[in-house]
Amino acid sequence: MSELLYSVSHLDVHFPMRDKGLFGKTRLLRAIDDVSFQVHRGETLGVVGESGCGKSTLLRALMRLGPATAGSLQFEGRELTDLDDKAMQPLRRDLQMIFQDPLASLDPRMTVGQIIGEPLRALEPTLDAASRRERVLELMRRVGLLPEQVNRYAHEFSGGQAQRIGIARALIVEPRLLVCDEPVSALDVSIKSQVINLLMDLRTERGLTYVFIAHDLASVRHIADRVVVLYLGRVMEIADRDALYAAPLHPYTQMLLAAVPIPDPRVARQRRMSVVRGELPSPLDPPSGCAFRTRCPFATRRCAEQRPALRDVGAGQVACHHAEAIAEGRAERASA
Amino acid sequence: MALLDVNDLCVRFATDDGDVHAVNHVNVSVDRGQVLGVVGESGSGKSQTWLSVMGLLARNGQASGSVKLDGEEILNLSNRQLSRLRGARMGMIFQDPMTALNPFLTVGRQMSEVLQWHAGMSRRAAAKRAIEALEAVHITGAERRLSMYPHEFSGGMRQRVMIAMALLTDPQLLICDEPTTALDVTVQMQILALLDELRQRFGTAIVLITHDLGVVAQIADRVTVMYGGRQIEQAEVHTLFDAYRHPYTEGLLGSVPRLDAPRTERLPTIPGHPPNLASMPAGCPFAPRCGYVMARCRQAMPPLEAVDGGAHLRACYYDGPLGKQEGVT
Repeated sequence: MSELLYSVSHLDVHFPMRDKGLFGKTRLLRAIDDVSFQVHRGETLGVVGESGCGKSTLLRALMRLGPATAGSLQFEGRELTDLDDKAMQPLRRDLQMIFQDPLASLDPRMTVGQIIGEPLRALEPTLDAASRRERVLELMRRVGLLPEQVNRYAHEFSGGQAQRIGIARALIVEPRLLVCDEPVSALDVSIKSQVINLLMDLRTERGLTYVFIAHDLASVRHIADRVVVLYLGRVMEIADRDALYAAPLHPYTQMLLAAVPIPDPRVARQRRMSVVRGELPSPLDPPSGCAFRTRCPFATRRCAEQRPALRDVGAGQVACHHAEAIAEGRAERASA
Repeated sequence: MALLDVNDLCVRFATDDGDVHAVNHVNVSVDRGQVLGVVGESGSGKSQTWLSVMGLLARNGQASGSVKLDGEEILNLSNRQLSRLRGARMGMIFQDPMTALNPFLTVGRQMSEVLQWHAGMSRRAAAKRAIEALEAVHITGAERRLSMYPHEFSGGMRQRVMIAMALLTDPQLLICDEPTTALDVTVQMQILALLDELRQRFGTAIVLITHDLGVVAQIADRVTVMYGGRQIEQAEVHTLFDAYRHPYTEGLLGSVPRLDAPRTERLPTIPGHPPNLASMPAGCPFAPRCGYVMARCRQAMPPLEAVDGGAHLRACYYDGPLGKQEGVT
């Protein structure tokens, strides 16, 4: 495949958590537990998972905005975990981010022009005001904002427009990697698809690379080339988009896909609504062995005793002892 | 007779910038054991319609028209009459259960209060009933859970607790406002399965307010689509998805990324954005974004009328074939 841009190897992010009470014992929350994946230049890597899977912790680590307990984060071959804040500073322009709640992420006291131009002011201090303004206006047009809106304030904009402002602010410094944190999940249905299309066009035009973090599997299918599935801080499966959606290998991916609502009553009502078993275990007390085994219809004793490694199966990677047997229909399914 | 009959319901809010007409001339009914899906985006009026039915409008809101529960007019009742009605005959659950639960009281205490107040039960009887209600929504270890505080539950469990609380008094009508929007898809599926089960087991009528067409497709019997404070289409669920007759419904269905269809390079979209209720366009609120717009659409709002004389209603002047908006970007 194409050139490697960002490589995450054996990343751990652990937080010590103290139990209630004066003498409560300290337990380790393994928010990210031995996670490895790679991002190639020009691709969109989708990262999916539900609450508590470690998505937010992972993205803070990727951006070096949060801690990394162990493991390696390499961006264009440079080890980021060795860099302090000051040494990270020049790399900030290469790593930009857009957020779930566009309005909350924009300063209400700044005009749109100031918001979008701010990163330029910080990262290209030699640029004169006129050139800065020119770059701001050009980008505003490109993301679908009107140049005459440059002096308005963020709260005067709808959610979809505010997300366009957020995208312009991130792109103005021409980053190499754009990390998107649930960028469309707070938007109205009719606006969501506009923003997804815009992100896809910008990627092609500007040769951008995206890490697209979302819980909405239908949107991810649209935008991502490859997908990483997380559960309780661990990678369950990594696969090319088409393979993942057509033939998910991990029982968790299968459950997740079976739970996505289908906007067609005939198809929706043929599905078993009981596909989802059990509840997410506490991240402070994850199951032994495979993290998903307590909800997995195929779990065996081995799953409780031995943690499955992420291994190559077919064209992707999966962390399941029984992936082949499940794919071939040989695995025994526990009755729900 | 329908359990709930809403006629010509309007909601307006007095604001510093003048009156905002959030809901205009809504007509809808709900039968026992039926799930009515209410679909719309922000500002469509979908939540305000049902808050007014519950008598829960903000202070500056005023509802007019008629809402009949079992034949009895309930719109604009006194607070005292309403609070009897709300606990006993209809309940409402919200997107964020934490806003409706008291963080300082145990779940058991909150559930017992409802029963002591509405059913005049003793504490012991109330506790027993609370355990039954938690068991009905499949919360395991119900007895132990009664002494827990809301923050000790996961998001999905909290929503189950809310549903259990709403069910304590066997309400005839349960209004659910985006009950699964804040939840993960797997938990959403479990909650939808639960709602579906409740309507079958207890004959509860359910109003399911959502922006998600997939949620509606899963359990609704009938669907009403709202836009800009108006109902623009209403039909039995299969008719709505297979034979929609409103350009907005078409646009909405076309722009949802979906797993049951081949992936396309570009998603069809609806241009523009939903209208601001404070500055509504004249005529049809969807006209500025509509691919079939005609001159008269900008002059007067089309009435909600029966398509083919049946139960399928829509508010649109355009009578030609749909399908032309496909691929609009």
